Amino acid sequence: MSFYSLAKRNALRKPLRAVLLIICIAIAFLIYGLTTSFLGGAQSASAASEDILGITSAGGRAQALPIQLLSRLADIPDVAAVGYVARLRGYAGVEKNRIAVSAADMPRLMQVNGKGLGLTPALLSAMDGARDRVLVGRALAEAQGWVVGQRVTITAFDVFRQAGGRDWRFEIAGIFDGETASTDTYFMIARFDYVNAVRARGRDMVDAFVVLPSPAVSPAVLAARIDARFSSSATPTQTQSEKQFLEAFLRQYADVGLIVNLVVGAAFVTLLMIVINTMIFAIRERTFEIGVLKTLGFSRGHIVALVLVETFFVVLLGGSVGLSLAWLAAQLAGAELGLVFSGAVLAKGVAIMVALSLATGALPAIAALRIPVINAFRTR
Amino acid sequence: MTETPDIYIRLESVSKAYRIAGQAIPIFSGLDLAIPRGDFVAVMGPSGSGKSTLLNMLAGIDRPDAGRVRIGTHQLDQMGEAARGAWRAHHMGIVFQFYNLLPMLNAAENVELPLLLKPLSARERRLRVERVLDLVGLSGRERQYPGMMSGGQQQRVGIARAIVADPGLLLCDEPTGDLDRTSADDILEMLQTLNQVLGKTILMVTHDPQAARLAKRTLHLDKGVFVEEARAPR
Repeated sequence: MSFYSLAKRNALRKPLRAVLLIICIAIAFLIYGLTTSFLGGAQSASAASEDILGITSAGGRAQALPIQLLSRLADIPDVAAVGYVARLRGYAGVEKNRIAVSAADMPRLMQVNGKGLGLTPALLSAMDGARDRVLVGRALAEAQGWVVGQRVTITAFDVFRQAGGRDWRFEIAGIFDGETASTDTYFMIARFDYVNAVRARGRDMVDAFVVLPSPAVSPAVLAARIDARFSSSATPTQTQSEKQFLEAFLRQYADVGLIVNLVVGAAFVTLLMIVINTMIFAIRERTFEIGVLKTLGFSRGHIVALVLVETFFVVLLGGSVGLSLAWLAAQLAGAELGLVFSGAVLAKGVAIMVALSLATGALPAIAALRIPVINAFRTR
Repeated sequence: MTETPDIYIRLESVSKAYRIAGQAIPIFSGLDLAIPRGDFVAVMGPSGSGKSTLLNMLAGIDRPDAGRVRIGTHQLDQMGEAARGAWRAHHMGIVFQFYNLLPMLNAAENVELPLLLKPLSARERRLRVERVLDLVGLSGRERQYPGMMSGGQQQRVGIARAIVADPGLLLCDEPTGDLDRTSADDILEMLQTLNQVLGKTILMVTHDPQAARLAKRTLHLDKGVFVEEARAPR
């Protein structure tokens, strides 16, 4: 027997109570794991770059910009590379199966964000030849069950073809993986020249320009410089980092980060109260035994250590179960939900377990310390 | 500090009072006691005479209001709580009336508890536990939990726990108070053996005259004064 096994025995002496407590902790860590994986995943802004700038019309994202701005943007000092994107939103098969298509100039996109998207020269070459070729993100390809060489039809919501209809047929030329697991790959990249030539309206207009700043300049400084350049033109711009852009987009619906923090915070505050209450109750039940241990010579430090190890054992067990379930959910949920259970999520979870153990163990430990031996024996 | 030759436990002018509703209720006033090393003393007295208070002070879990409590070379009344705890772990074993075993630990684990405070390997601890359980006649019952044992067996575990760290002093608080006559006699015989064979100094608080008769001498505590019972030499 050791101090650890003594603490473990104390923790498990009432199995039903221990199991309920562990389930309670596991649920809180499951909520933490899922929400944090969501925040760190492809459906949130956290994976977006802060170094790449997106330029849209100052009048709103719905207003397109003329492609002629390209040369003026390229002339601005400290612009290392510039590209452009026209968006085509639609669905495959049924309307709820929404698909986003970004039509881009492939070599320019490669320069600006090829690394982030995981674009390779081989993928770029695969786009040569037929203009209706597309590159599909790994998450989208897996979710739809698409493979290279397959022809797919996207029905656009509002981009009509000159020939009539909204059905756009593409041939899948390759699949890109993204630089990291948290890179959004739930979309496809088409050739701008094809979409631009075939669409019925909005010829030579783009939804956004994307700019890669040179290493010598801060993205924020360059963003201000770009907007200043166009402020008095017919097409004033709003330049933001990709991350700011995405955050602003998500904030149209809700402040996801705030909601997640509130949910996790509420879960942990509730958990803190439950565990503290249960532990204090458990320690009070054992007042007599603590008196016995003190009589045998166990010091205040030993008693505190026993209570803290007991709490840590329960929290660690519950937390591990919760985080394991969150990890499993992230693996099984599929790419559509964009859950990424990263090492950072795990490390933060372990840190929360330690902090929670100390926070919940401190009060019961102090309560145990304050029990005079003589009073403890009177509780029998 | 030096130990007075032959005297192991010495109380000098010890006073103790309890405060109830702001009023001091004296238990002792100027109590003296001297017990030589290797003695086996029974302390008897009516309820409320201060037997338990005396035991608590000798165990270092209570302190006198005035006077000195010295055991061996240690003056307990001058020591802080942590030092008294460490002293208990190394120099004293205590046997309780109601055994006070931890219910979620088996016999061997209960006995091992005091050894967790000593720098011993797991193997050394196990060997010591096996030895003392054998000594108290519980060999083969190491894995039994207190709830599965009779009162007499539980008290044997309690005694094993008290002596496993090899203390010089054994304090017994009504060790047979919860046992039938046969079990009580077994326990008393065991205490006698520990005193006579292993040389443990034993101070036993008891209400049982038969138990007291097995001690080398009996002290009656009444109205804050010890009176030694005269008895024929054995």
